[in-house]
Amino acid sequence: MAQYDFKKITVVPTGNDLIDIVLSRTQRQTPTVIHKGNAISRVRQFYMRKVKFTETNFTDKLSKTIEDFPRVEDIHPFYGDLLHVLYNKDHYKLALGQLNTARNLIKRIREDYVKLLKYGDSLYRCKSLKRAALGRMCTVTKRIGPSLAYLEHVRQHMARLPSINTGAPTILICGCPNVGKSSFLNKITRADVEVQPYAFTTKSLFVGHTDYKYLRYQVIDTPGLLDRPLEDRNIIEMCSVTALVNLHAAILFFLDLSGSCGYSISQQAALFHSIKMMFRNNPVLIVCNKTDLQTLEGLSGEDLKLVMEMKSAALKTIPVSTITDEGVMAVKNAACQRLLDQRSERKMKSKKMPTVLNRFHVAMPKPRDQKERPVCIPQAVLEARAEEAAHEERKTEKDIENENGGAGVYSASLRKHYILADDDWKLDILPEFLDGHNVYDFIDPDILQRVEELEREETAVEEDGGDFEMEDEDFTAEAEKDLQEIRKRKKLLIQKHRIKKSTAESRPTVPRKFDKDRKFTTERMGRQLSSLGIDPSRAIERARSRSVSRKGRKRERSVGGDGEDVMEIDGGLDNKKKLRGFKDSAQKMKAVTMARNATKKRNKDARRGEADRVIPTLRPKHLFSGKRSIGKTDRR
Amino acid sequence: MRLEFCWFCSSKIYPGHGIQFVRNDAKIFRFCRSKCHKNFKMKRNPRKVKWTKAYRRLHGKDMTKDSTFELERKRNRPERYDRNVMENTLKAIKKIDKIRHDRAADHIAQRWKPKAAKERREARKELEQSISLIKAPLAIQSQEPAITVPKIKVKAPKQQTVEDQLMEE
Repeated sequence: MAQYDFKKITVVPTGNDLIDIVLSRTQRQTPTVIHKGNAISRVRQFYMRKVKFTETNFTDKLSKTIEDFPRVEDIHPFYGDLLHVLYNKDHYKLALGQLNTARNLIKRIREDYVKLLKYGDSLYRCKSLKRAALGRMCTVTKRIGPSLAYLEHVRQHMARLPSINTGAPTILICGCPNVGKSSFLNKITRADVEVQPYAFTTKSLFVGHTDYKYLRYQVIDTPGLLDRPLEDRNIIEMCSVTALVNLHAAILFFLDLSGSCGYSISQQAALFHSIKMMFRNNPVLIVCNKTDLQTLEGLSGEDLKLVMEMKSAALKTIPVSTITDEGVMAVKNAACQRLLDQRSERKMKSKKMPTVLNRFHVAMPKPRDQKERPVCIPQAVLEARAEEAAHEERKTEKDIENENGGAGVYSASLRKHYILADDDWKLDILPEFLDGHNVYDFIDPDILQRVEELEREETAVEEDGGDFEMEDEDFTAEAEKDLQEIRKRKKLLIQKHRIKKSTAESRPTVPRKFDKDRKFTTERMGRQLSSLGIDPSRAIERARSRSVSRKGRKRERSVGGDGEDVMEIDGGLDNKKKLRGFKDSAQKMKAVTMARNATKKRNKDARRGEADRVIPTLRPKHLFSGKRSIGKTDRR
Repeated sequence: MRLEFCWFCSSKIYPGHGIQFVRNDAKIFRFCRSKCHKNFKMKRNPRKVKWTKAYRRLHGKDMTKDSTFELERKRNRPERYDRNVMENTLKAIKKIDKIRHDRAADHIAQRWKPKAAKERREARKELEQSISLIKAPLAIQSQEPAITVPKIKVKAPKQQTVEDQLMEE
């Protein structure tokens, strides 16, 4: 009942490889260093270990191989026969036997040499013994080299055998070569077997699987059979024979009605009869293939008779055409059904059945009277069912969407199902902002009322007349005029002060008695006093009587004469005059600025010009006395 | 969509403007422009920054308490749409706006009122104090233009000193 898996067999190394493997292992995994100075017991131990280790490895590897390979007697006869057919049972057994003997020999060698090593008296002696032991083991292994090679070959082939479950329900396809067996297999299963017009396209068994009534069936395709005695059959045919004989399966014997396989119906019938006894009690179906070329009815009388003869030995005959798929399913179903029935029968017949059957009991109520009592469904339910069936034509939103162009094009209107007081409002556009306010913040059912209140408030406040302002007495026109005068005077003062400040850098601070512009005159004083409203005559008189005569004053040069212009010969063109002595106006501007900057300091000191030099201290003390920290004092 | 107010200057933020900052305690700060945002990052208090509404309201420059503000409230419960209500609301918004605007203008006018009185007082004072710039004091002013009287030398009796008097005795 088991599924055989020949892929799990470990790789069989060749003789030399095996030796290499074991010896390198020994070298790596045992201690390597020993000196003749060490104690003899240690030396003996060292070499004994090596011998034992080598023997163990050899034994392990050989045992593994022997155990992995299946024993022909122990496996299912189908596989046993198959192995025999393919690899020759005797050769196979012999090889395995050789391995076994080799194993035993190696064991013997080890025992002998370990005994000898126990009495080795020097390092050299022990070493030689070890060498001898290992050497003999290797020789043994070399001798079984061919067997190992053969076994490796067998292993590789076995791994590629189709995995046929001998316990599962199986359908076997057999017949003459080129009849249409492989194409039939391709039709009913997912197997992809090569189909070619030449005979013996299929050279080994092929397995496909198919389902029928929730059960998995194996379908095995076999190479074509020729009408020959068993002894003459070749290996390929023997494969199919093995399958026929050993497997419990529904057999489909394929018949080519047209004879396009190269064999006439009579030949095929002969084949059928010769392998009839292999069928035993397996259900057989005769499948008449290639009905597209030649139908069953169209057969000649002789052929028909032969077919009828075959039919008597079989259960059924089914016409099939694998090209047109006619009858293929019928065949499969028939075969599967037959197998299923057989299985059920067998189960029923088995001893266990009654114990199982006892557990089932279907209780049927005994009819009380002849009254008919059908199934009762309430009317409402029936109606509801009917309505639902009718309602299936409701148009969904999805349908509408698809109609109007699909998901990206149509956008469903969410407003359709709004519940509002008035349905016209569904399509209203709702404003969100107005004049910089959120409309939703103002929504209130009685907002108008409140606004009205507000307005009433406003008007009330207006009528009130606003705040009562305290009236201050306004100024009289005179007072107004005076105020303006005061402000004007103040402004003038400020202006004058500002001018003074801005020119302070270059204007000298000079006491009044040296006023050059002759600002401080008695007329001026008189004007100012009279503007204040005072009679100035007495003040003028007094001032005049005290003033110093102007006789002693120096004659001052007249300011800004026209001397230069008079000297001008041509009468002076404006441009020439302006740029006299200068290259261009920019240069003149620069010169003017330089001159002004130079005179600023002099003006500040109230000097009349460059020549007006006053040295306030002719001999300042700090320059004419004392020592110097830096420099000399011989030039004072 | 909603018009929000800038956290710093309290101006309206229209959609598509400004930046929102969400702090770790889930408080949302909205700014109308980078000026406000940068001020916030500098940790300035809007109540101390002169040009913000917060300052103005706090210091009484703008109107704070008014019934028009109560009409504009954020409502969290949505109302069922009613076209009439919407119409009324839209009309009302305009009216409320006008009233609020007028009231705010009144408030500011009120603020300016005391200034006139103050100015008058100051003018009066100035007049009093600085009148001397244009007018001489009354005492000298009222003097008639004097007629020059020739100097008359008058011998005055020698006044006995107290000592002499005492010595005489």
